[in-house]
Amino acid sequence: MEALLEEHKKLARKSNLSKSLEDVQNSIDLLVQARESIAADPNCARVTLAKLQAPVKQSFEAVNSDLKEVYKGLGNYSKALDKKFKDKPLPSTDHDALSSHPALINRAVAMHLLREGQFSVASTFLTDATNRPPHSEPQLRTPNSNSNPEDDLGIDSLKSEALRKQFADMYHILHAMKYERNLLPAIDWARANSKLLETRGSNLEFELGKLQFVWLFTGGPNPIDPRSRSQNQQQALQYAQRDLVHFQGRYLKEMTQLSGAMAFSPNLSQSPYRRIFHNEGAWEDLANSFTREFCSLLGLSADSPLYIAATAGAIALPTLLKLQTIMKEKRTEWTTQHELPVEIPLPPAYHFHSIFVCPVSKEQTTDDNPPMMMPCGHVVAQESLMRLAKGSRFKCPYCPNESRPEDAKRLYM
Amino acid sequence: MAAELTTTKLNAESHLLLDQPLLRLPHELARKNFKIVQKNVERENKDILSALKTTANAAFTGNDSGQTLSSLDNMINRMQGLKRKMVTLHNEEMVLHQHSRRRIQHLQDLYEIPSLADVKYDEWSRVRLNRLLVDYLLRCGYGESARALAREKGIEELVDLDVFVQCHMVEESLRRGSTKECLAWCAEHKPMMKKTDNRLEFELRMQQYIELRRNGQVVEARQHARKYLTQHASTYPKEVNRAAGLLAYPPDTQVQEYNMLYSTARWDVLATLFVQTHHELFSLPARPLLHIALSAGLSALKTPSCHSKHASSTANASSTTTSVCPICSTELNELARKLPYAHHTKSYVENDPVVLPNGRVYGRDRLLEMSVKVGLDPGLVKDPTTSHVYPASDIRKVYIS
Repeated sequence: MEALLEEHKKLARKSNLSKSLEDVQNSIDLLVQARESIAADPNCARVTLAKLQAPVKQSFEAVNSDLKEVYKGLGNYSKALDKKFKDKPLPSTDHDALSSHPALINRAVAMHLLREGQFSVASTFLTDATNRPPHSEPQLRTPNSNSNPEDDLGIDSLKSEALRKQFADMYHILHAMKYERNLLPAIDWARANSKLLETRGSNLEFELGKLQFVWLFTGGPNPIDPRSRSQNQQQALQYAQRDLVHFQGRYLKEMTQLSGAMAFSPNLSQSPYRRIFHNEGAWEDLANSFTREFCSLLGLSADSPLYIAATAGAIALPTLLKLQTIMKEKRTEWTTQHELPVEIPLPPAYHFHSIFVCPVSKEQTTDDNPPMMMPCGHVVAQESLMRLAKGSRFKCPYCPNESRPEDAKRLYM
Repeated sequence: MAAELTTTKLNAESHLLLDQPLLRLPHELARKNFKIVQKNVERENKDILSALKTTANAAFTGNDSGQTLSSLDNMINRMQGLKRKMVTLHNEEMVLHQHSRRRIQHLQDLYEIPSLADVKYDEWSRVRLNRLLVDYLLRCGYGESARALAREKGIEELVDLDVFVQCHMVEESLRRGSTKECLAWCAEHKPMMKKTDNRLEFELRMQQYIELRRNGQVVEARQHARKYLTQHASTYPKEVNRAAGLLAYPPDTQVQEYNMLYSTARWDVLATLFVQTHHELFSLPARPLLHIALSAGLSALKTPSCHSKHASSTANASSTTTSVCPICSTELNELARKLPYAHHTKSYVENDPVVLPNGRVYGRDRLLEMSVKVGLDPGLVKDPTTSHVYPASDIRKVYIS
């Protein structure tokens, strides 16, 4: 990359039009001078004009040689670019499976913009996309007259409006939390979705309440003022009695800690409870877990799927490209269309589901060929199991245990 | 968990596959810019020198000084015109150089990021996504959205709004049935196009011819053909012959090959041909880069669980202990349906996997954590996916190899 940067510096510094501009100005000056002297003394016209020929020609030659310099510079930079990208061709798009779903891509883009809080861009995009639905792509010579079944955007305006409102709410709550230290909108939301959050095993509602208590306890909006300490504590206590009491069943331990902390109130920072009451990270953590819960309740992942997929794609591309080259060389095609032919290493954070690869057949299990656990606790794919058993008792490939196929239990990974 | 299944290694050199057009386009534009300068200089060079000679000769043969002066003025004017043009083009050139510079710098940043797990990589990759999105929006013809996004994200120097907006304007004019804009574009880019044997202009002239014939202007059509089509007879013999034949067939003809020429679908074909020519000229990939990145990414992430009839025990939306899988998320689920899933040679499961009576497999820690979080007695566990509660004694260890 440095070589390219260097080459470009050279291009920008040396091979630009400024010099040729000077030489054009020279020609102009020559012409203007000649004009002036002829205007002053019409009799010298012949001589002046005769004398003018060569210099003007020369100045044009100078312009041309300046341009040649620019041309050379551009050529050198071209070469540097070629060299840089020689072994990095654009992946072929012959089998672009996405082009036939423009509406689905548009939907993904719209949802991405909304979840990133780009509301104005999103609304411009929705208008654009509704006014000009994506074109299908006809081939030269075979005009494609059948209409595209995915003409509409995939999200009708009503639904996208609902989604927009959801995310607007989310950003409103996050904004209040992060910039105004105001947890009340978040607490209201959590209370309204209390049941759902509880089934998910989320303690968001309690965590919000707890932070609100801590915030009140440490002085609320004006934490520095020591005079109001007792008043603050009073407020916090009232809040706890009113709003935290019903958490006692699930969060008894944390509640005890909170009340225990009251005893240390004059110098909390030296108490064992310091971490609860002086934890700047708590706000950030809670904002993150709020975002996660909020998106999950909508059935969406916390980070934009479009971002994760595009990033994973960039990580995967070199491997896929290598594969493509090898396949072209060997003139083979991979036989299983439903599975990539090569393993693509991704960072651990990009693994979401558990994967089960049958140790016998080396295939990933699917709905049609699910993982089956034998009574000994070892697992193989159903097809492998059937092949091993041939309908009768068989030995586990991993241990001496014998069992029958009907003893095996289907697993859900 | 086998270490070789995952990597956080960032190889910047091979990571730049998607970024070639980022540097190519401003360079192609700079070359176009230069060609225009060259053409202008060439023309003025020739004209001024010959004008100068003529004036000198005229002065010898006794022209009066008034005429000499006026022809000199003429030359000065033309040179000043040239200079003005060159100043504009020089400014353009500086902007393009600045863009290239920024972009090289942006790619250079990637080389300084130690690993895929680094926060800086996350930032860089988000900028890349925004670039890809702008590219996608522009290719769809959503210029306003693209501009808004680029402005919002402050990446105007990393994207090429104007090129695409112009391209889209020409494309739309063709779809509306107008050849004027596209012919003007062809003329403007002629210096660059010669080397690639270009079909576009021929097809445009052909379309004009068809339109003349459609309107019954047979004489004009014939003239037009003589002027623009016959010269291509050696390159496109079949097409030129057919064009000649068209004179005998009225627009309502049932003969298929002529009927096809009259078809309005030809405009869409022309539009596609134009876009293709345009992208080739500027070294742009035929498809949006977002498609390339997404189809690779969707497959790399997709697992058989993502479109299964049964809810996956991992990465689902029903419990707080896992984050939702991006392929299962509404945005991408349908899009990924027809793509192949990732290849794995080893199982990848949570630590210490256990199975519940209903066959669901979880990492023991996650299962216990969930049960504590929902406030269950220590003797009970709750299935995070189905919400069933089981006695903890029903948990069985499962051996996944």
